[in-house]
Amino acid sequence: MPGRLSEPESALIPLSTEVDVPLYHIRLGVKPPIFRVFISWSRGNVLQVACIRPLEDHLARGEGNETSDDAGLGGKVVEVKLGASNPNISEAQRRRIIYDSVPPFVLLQSRRKAFLTMSRMSSSSSHPSTDWWKQVLEYSRSISELLGSSKLSSKSVIEDPMIVLEPVEKPSSLKAAWQLMEIFYVDKHYFSWLPERLVDWLADYDAILSETQMTVHSKLVKLQEKLVNLQVIENEPEYWEGLSSVLTVGWLDVAVKLLRLHGSYQLNQLDSRETENGLVETVAVLVSTMPRLRHDLPVRKLGQCLKTKPDFIKAWEKWRGQITKLDCSAFWVQCSHRPTREGLRNLLQIMLGNFNSISTACFHWMELFISHVLYIRPLTVGFEEMHGLALKFMRLKSSSISNGLMRLLIGILGENTEVVMAECSKSFGPWMVAHSAELLTADNNQNEILLHEERYNLGGISIVELHRLVYCQVLTSHPLTWQVAPTYLVSCPKQGLGLLEILLSKQPVQNYPMILKNLEICQLNELYGISSFVKKIAGMHQWKHGRKGSGVYWLQEARDEARLNRIAQQLFECIGRSISDETFKQWEGLIELLGSDVGTAGGVGFLHRYRDFKRSLRQVKNGRPTRAARQTVESLIQLMKSPYTPQRFWLPLLHDVVELLNWKDQPLLNVSETNFLLKKLQELSMAQLCREFSETYLPPEALTEIRLALATNLSRAFLEE
Amino acid sequence: MERELATLDKGAQCCSWNYCGQRFAVGYDDGSVAVHDSDSSFSRSSKFKVHADGIMNIIWIPPEFGDAIACICIDGTLSLWEEVGEDAHSVSWKQCKVFESNTSRVLDVQFGLPTRYLKMVAAYSDGLVKVYELLDLLELNKWQLQAEFQNVVDSVSIFGKPTCITASVAWSPRRGESQQSRFALGFNSDLSQFNSCKIWEFEEAHQRWLPVAELAFPADTDDRVHALAWAPNIGRPFEVIAVASCKGIAIWHVWLNSGIDGRLSTEKVVLLSGHDNEIWQLEWDVSGMTLASTGGDGLVRLWQSNLNGVWQEQAALDCSGGQQ
Repeated sequence: MPGRLSEPESALIPLSTEVDVPLYHIRLGVKPPIFRVFISWSRGNVLQVACIRPLEDHLARGEGNETSDDAGLGGKVVEVKLGASNPNISEAQRRRIIYDSVPPFVLLQSRRKAFLTMSRMSSSSSHPSTDWWKQVLEYSRSISELLGSSKLSSKSVIEDPMIVLEPVEKPSSLKAAWQLMEIFYVDKHYFSWLPERLVDWLADYDAILSETQMTVHSKLVKLQEKLVNLQVIENEPEYWEGLSSVLTVGWLDVAVKLLRLHGSYQLNQLDSRETENGLVETVAVLVSTMPRLRHDLPVRKLGQCLKTKPDFIKAWEKWRGQITKLDCSAFWVQCSHRPTREGLRNLLQIMLGNFNSISTACFHWMELFISHVLYIRPLTVGFEEMHGLALKFMRLKSSSISNGLMRLLIGILGENTEVVMAECSKSFGPWMVAHSAELLTADNNQNEILLHEERYNLGGISIVELHRLVYCQVLTSHPLTWQVAPTYLVSCPKQGLGLLEILLSKQPVQNYPMILKNLEICQLNELYGISSFVKKIAGMHQWKHGRKGSGVYWLQEARDEARLNRIAQQLFECIGRSISDETFKQWEGLIELLGSDVGTAGGVGFLHRYRDFKRSLRQVKNGRPTRAARQTVESLIQLMKSPYTPQRFWLPLLHDVVELLNWKDQPLLNVSETNFLLKKLQELSMAQLCREFSETYLPPEALTEIRLALATNLSRAFLEE
Repeated sequence: MERELATLDKGAQCCSWNYCGQRFAVGYDDGSVAVHDSDSSFSRSSKFKVHADGIMNIIWIPPEFGDAIACICIDGTLSLWEEVGEDAHSVSWKQCKVFESNTSRVLDVQFGLPTRYLKMVAAYSDGLVKVYELLDLLELNKWQLQAEFQNVVDSVSIFGKPTCITASVAWSPRRGESQQSRFALGFNSDLSQFNSCKIWEFEEAHQRWLPVAELAFPADTDDRVHALAWAPNIGRPFEVIAVASCKGIAIWHVWLNSGIDGRLSTEKVVLLSGHDNEIWQLEWDVSGMTLASTGGDGLVRLWQSNLNGVWQEQAALDCSGGQQ
């Protein structure tokens, strides 16, 4: 049984129930039997899986049924991206959200830092500031904006009276969830105007609830389709049902629009249906003057906007009184059209808060919940009560929680932050949970402590940090989004840089722009160790693949003295093996690149002096100036004196300067210098190395030539001194 | 969401990815190795003959030493190969070193994170552990045997020679010059003292390797170890090591600040069962929060700890695509 703990007594917290583990099928895998499966984590959450099939002889023994499809197939390597992506959001849109949410996130983090510093200075409570929620609200609105707009701008100037349902884009459930959290966690203003906020929310997102269940929205869509063909609209029960439904959920403008479609408004019928029309119009007026406790009322929205509770209560009582008065009026007796009479009185009952009328007019438990707080409990109720109501209405409407939004609302009303976060993660993905944590802590000290508390079980990090790390892993799963990850990682105080180091050390370094990007990130975050590591990998890759110059460049950048010394040693050995001008030319560039400050080992030092010697010798050969000749000879003496100059170089070096030893103008070496060189020549003879070297590539008479030249120089130096 | 990267020829035996997952090497039963590159859409970029016998395992050498692999053959021969070339068109794989042993076979090899020297631990079929050091930072041909010991806690007693079927080695993945060299090692052998997973630490003062922790309860020390994996540590105060034995996958927490006796404190957090108790491979993700395992049931299982520290299986992937 997958997912069970075989030794529950040894676990920290034993699981009492077995958990059903989701099993996913790798469609591109191989047919059984499988010999072995090899795995490796690639970028972020990408897992590479190699499925290997058994060898032929195993199959022949009856361990498998070979089919023609698999003939010749030894196995397959498949890449699996883990973590459910939101199917309602395209890849391009997902990436846009990822990129666009960076600036608001960064801004909020820097403000949080500033607020924390300020609160530490004033040694106030653990929460940054009493006004912190305003900053979070600004952040929330920026994020909400980038999640898409649900409204389409109306192109028609003249309003079509038959259009009761405005054309809208398919609403985003991600945005719906975000706004739910904003309503309940961030906006302090709106909390007192909660019913109105929920009415607005439902108007925007009821279509999402329609995906799984009948809703007021879906009812209205059906009615809209029929409206054009209906002759006597008020005779249709669907018209009255639709009307009561939209009124129940507080869509007053739609309700009034529908009322005005009533047949009694037609000019040819006004006279004969005067009372009926009067009643319809009175109800329409009552609907349009419904008191609404809210900050402002958008254009074309109906109702009287009241900003304070006392004003609202006063207006509400007055309005209810008018409704009651109308309900008791004698005009109803005079209204002969039964459907109109009954339909209108039902509307009055809804406005009076009759639960049965409201409940009949709603389809979804969330609609019933919102209607309830709008008409029955217009003044704010507590979370506990709201949670109880939500559960009661769910039972009443026999609904199951099939939608992430519903689970989220239940979690919010249940004041269970962990459930809310789990739901955000499960239904809306790591982006949502990483970003919405800010909303949860905006105005709630308890959540602030819960989410920012360092936990042993999480390896010493907080829940907020954990979710950011998880989000970063998702970001790094795609080559186009991984560069966003460092921004979030630096906001993880405990383990962010640790993860960043690993991520950077696992980036491929085969191409130059990629290395530069990696190094830039290292530089920004002062990750010098990783920067050096990246350079070393790049250097060794280039060196081993024949691009020696580039290899040396990167190793120098990495300040990898040990490897550079080894390269110098290799060059030195290479040059030493055949000390010809050709070999030297081949390596001269590399010696130049290695620079003189590499290490302290003699190899590079010798190579530089050797290079200088060869250069000045070339100058002598080209123009024969005495100064260059003098310089060459000085280089020679230095080289011969240096303990790092290998013996095998001595003879070729001396042979190179034979011409200079016979310099016409003056002897270039003094007596002691000449004696020193003669002594070195003697040492070589003793070590029997002369033969070996003269045999390799020096002319046979080289040794004699050198001896003669030195003797000549010595005699001239004697005379000179 | 899945994507097919490559199909493998008949005779494939093992597969191993390089540090960034952009290349992988496949070992074949005829002793050849094929390398696949992302540059060429994971088609085979080269294939070369390593040995007369089949390849049992391939391990990539840390990237600071070039593009190189260690191949363990069925006869226990270990050879190191590296990709070299004079230019982009003349790239080929050449053999750098062969470790031959007449008496025992190499079962597993792992490379430590290089500090001063690159260290390689090789576990042999006779229960011996050999630690080698690379002497040349540019070439992979000069190795020096630094230490040789048995995977037993009691270094005084004399044990017989076990016959080991498999071995698992995992180096501590902590990066940084100051970090001490540490690795975990367990055997699947017929001699119980050798089996349990021990953590070995290099003691600079006496230049020797010491067992500083044993990841097994006294009653479980003879459990044969099938696989182990040391989780990357991005900032936890403790290390996490997963050890798979015939009883399941044990998750251990290990504190590296050793006590007075030099032993590390350890805690077995959970024992997870799955794969019909035959586990082939364990792999931690980059954050060390998710463990992936493969085993005899042909599934890949993913394990995570929840907010309360309870380890649970999160999902399983069926590699046969449900084509049973």
